[in-house]
Amino acid sequence: MGGVILENLSNRKLIGLGVLLGLLLLTFFLVGGLVAPTPSNVSNVLGTICKEKSRTKSAAWYKKTWYTPRGPGKCESANTLDELGPDVHNNQVVFAFMIPLPRDGHNLQMSSWFQHITSVLDINIEYQEGNEIKENAMVSLELKLGGRNKDTEPWTLIAAAEEIRTLDCSIEQSLKTHGQQYNCSVLPLFELGSCHYSFYLLNLRLPTFDYDEITEEHVEGKNTGIGKVVDIWTVFINQNGGFTKVWFSMKTLMFPTVLMVLCWFWRRIMMLERKPNLLEKALLCLGIALTQLNLPIEWFTLWFDFPFMLLLSDIRQGVFYSFLMCFWIIFSGEHMMDQVERSRLVQYWKHLSAVLFGCICLFVFEMCERGVQLTNPFYSIWSTDAGSKLALGFVVLAGIAACTYFIFLCYMIFKVFRNIGAKKNSLPQMSAIRRKYYMGLIYRFKFLMLSTLICAAMTVIFFIISQVSESQWKWGEENSLEYTSAFLCGVYGMWNLYVIALLVLYAPSHKYVSAADEDDSLDEQIEFTQIASESSALASFARKAAAD
Amino acid sequence: MYLNMDKQETMVNIIITVIFYNILTTNAIETWWSLGMNGFEAWRNPQLFILGAQPVCTHLRGLSPGQTKLCQLYQDHMPAVSRGAKLGIHECQYQFRNRRWNCSTVDDDSVFGPITEIASREASFTHSIAAAGVVFSIARACREGELSNCGCSRKLRPKGLDRDYIWGGCGDNAEYGYRFAKGFIDARENEKNHPRHSRELSRMLMNLHNNEAGRRAVYKHTKVACKCHGVSGSCSLKTCWQSLLSFREIGNFLKEKYDGATDVKFNRRGTKLERKNPMYNKPTKEDMIYLDPSPDYCEPNKLTGSRGTIGRSCEKNSDGMEGCNLMCCGRGYNTHKITLTERCHCKFHWCCYVKCRTCKRVVDIHTCK
Repeated sequence: MGGVILENLSNRKLIGLGVLLGLLLLTFFLVGGLVAPTPSNVSNVLGTICKEKSRTKSAAWYKKTWYTPRGPGKCESANTLDELGPDVHNNQVVFAFMIPLPRDGHNLQMSSWFQHITSVLDINIEYQEGNEIKENAMVSLELKLGGRNKDTEPWTLIAAAEEIRTLDCSIEQSLKTHGQQYNCSVLPLFELGSCHYSFYLLNLRLPTFDYDEITEEHVEGKNTGIGKVVDIWTVFINQNGGFTKVWFSMKTLMFPTVLMVLCWFWRRIMMLERKPNLLEKALLCLGIALTQLNLPIEWFTLWFDFPFMLLLSDIRQGVFYSFLMCFWIIFSGEHMMDQVERSRLVQYWKHLSAVLFGCICLFVFEMCERGVQLTNPFYSIWSTDAGSKLALGFVVLAGIAACTYFIFLCYMIFKVFRNIGAKKNSLPQMSAIRRKYYMGLIYRFKFLMLSTLICAAMTVIFFIISQVSESQWKWGEENSLEYTSAFLCGVYGMWNLYVIALLVLYAPSHKYVSAADEDDSLDEQIEFTQIASESSALASFARKAAAD
Repeated sequence: MYLNMDKQETMVNIIITVIFYNILTTNAIETWWSLGMNGFEAWRNPQLFILGAQPVCTHLRGLSPGQTKLCQLYQDHMPAVSRGAKLGIHECQYQFRNRRWNCSTVDDDSVFGPITEIASREASFTHSIAAAGVVFSIARACREGELSNCGCSRKLRPKGLDRDYIWGGCGDNAEYGYRFAKGFIDARENEKNHPRHSRELSRMLMNLHNNEAGRRAVYKHTKVACKCHGVSGSCSLKTCWQSLLSFREIGNFLKEKYDGATDVKFNRRGTKLERKNPMYNKPTKEDMIYLDPSPDYCEPNKLTGSRGTIGRSCEKNSDGMEGCNLMCCGRGYNTHKITLTERCHCKFHWCCYVKCRTCKRVVDIHTCK
């Protein structure tokens, strides 16, 4: 065995490969930045104030009626709430939102390329003396979401729910005069994992009483102390079709590429006389994890309504990143160069269980939020006190697990570097072959460390750039480069290239020990071949090194 | 609150006298602001005027020929323009409720009376706030889906609206509001060519500048909100958007600009305006400019159109502009007791329906002599 390809690659070839990967990475960034539009489109929709004529309508009745803000069957509407006059009761007011908004005199349609819709609520509340917002005021929302594909079709109910959200509003003391608005933070409204209808209609009501049709009684007590509502805005965020197209194309391109490299890698290992060692198995798993992430099953969403796709893609990403983390641990462990026998997964149970625990926490959190949203898109775990504590608990646990993991990882890397330092001192005393192999080991480790650090640093840098550019964006300014898209595509491409590079460079080399090593003593060679034929070459070297 | 109503009543009185006055004296310039004054309730129902046999736009007074054309082209926009003008006028009156000039309107198509013919700070403010009102209400109407023409402006996209929309979505409607307001409001200024150094040219340049300042007050002053919607709702993907401030905030902002307005004059060539005092900062596109000093608002004056402050209510112990000292220009004030009947112990809801009791109390009212 001649070690891995990386060691036997000449510097020229390695630099060439580095440049090639760099160029490919740049292509990914540029495709994201120049070809793709921004990842998401935002439409800010003002609620049309619809007036229900009858005052004595129950919640059940409201559920059956749709209020459309425009087009045929338009509801009876008012421009402002003040126009309604004092006779209209709060229960009679329905806010209607229909997307998409018409543009350029043309009725647009939503498309399944939009993938998912996220929505937030922005309630404008005016300061009114005697009607201030109470502390921890809750809004109780009667919500209903419908969809249809043609103007002539009736609305199909997607979800209906009664939700409670806590208002988070503030106003400066000096501004407490009539007509000033509170500064309220936006409230999460719904998250829909698919966008399969052409038109969406949201009806929203802030009832102050429940009307019981049988006893004809009003039960008051909801939506009190929320101030004077002026307007209700809903912000709909959907993925841009252009971005989806670029994303799908990248996935469709990367899936067979990584699969091919993975097959080649495994075939190489199978060609060896020995059984694959742990590191090679870990690399294989990493490749498989990436392949399942790349698998472009999203294409089906264009024809079928798959609301679970959002959840699934989260899980798939989670699987990949957890495998990546596990791989780093195993890689550092296998390069430890001490006398401890490793090469078995059980050796890493502490580290891996931290990863597993973190993943489980995040998975539970995910299921509590996006999982429940499959049945009720309006659900938000953060809206209730107990729910947000639970969610926060899981996130904190996952955070602790992540911290533990990084402490483990840093400690292992530290130990490796310490051992490397110790080995470097004793290198001159070693025979040529052993020196070569130790140097190979050190080189392999340092190479991976460097490339991983570069990838991680680039992820962080681009993340920050995209976040900053996103929040500093202004109207009327057209970005020539879409930073957020560049970030998403670039990072996706980068980890793909990272894994491909690992699979290629850390595959066993077929080159045999070169002629330069012939000078070495015979027993050294014998000794070496014996060791190399063992299943865990690395650990054996480590043991030998300890003996040295 | 009742005090305000009382104030309004006195204001109405003033208005009535001034109308009388106006009919006898001046013929003030008609402006599009009048859209905010007349009963435009019919405008809310677009079918009414589309089906109507008469071309409504030519019957509207106050529109310049260019604006009439725009009105015909964009008939459905006119209710929003009218609402915008109304919003501007109301906000002006709120911001200047405690000033000697209180932005009171007259019942003709000049809206604010001949006072706005003087190229003063006050005229600047009226231009800006009305322009701001139009941007605001057009953007609002667009976002409600009331106007179907609102644009979908985005560069870097394939051709064809549907494909554009699917590819990269649409830009926000505030931009459309800005563009429409620019076209509509500036139309009347751009209609004629004026010679260099002429009074008309300087006024035109001033109006254009102040209109732009008003539009920018809406368009450039926004609040940004963001939503994280990445993996598991994390901030790995964050989307931000801008929303308009409330019109009161825009009014506050413009009031500040009014206080810091720049006095300007022609440059040497007589083609552009430059600041009179080079010590001050150069006015930006968001600042207001004016040409003439404000007239004396203390005494009624036929020539300037000032109505004076006689009969205006004032605060006895205040040192500000609303204080009787300043408001009454040293003429002194009358005090009388009146009994207020007002709503009290109200039980409010978030909208509309309020349960109140009525209370009576006696208050002192001070009015300028």
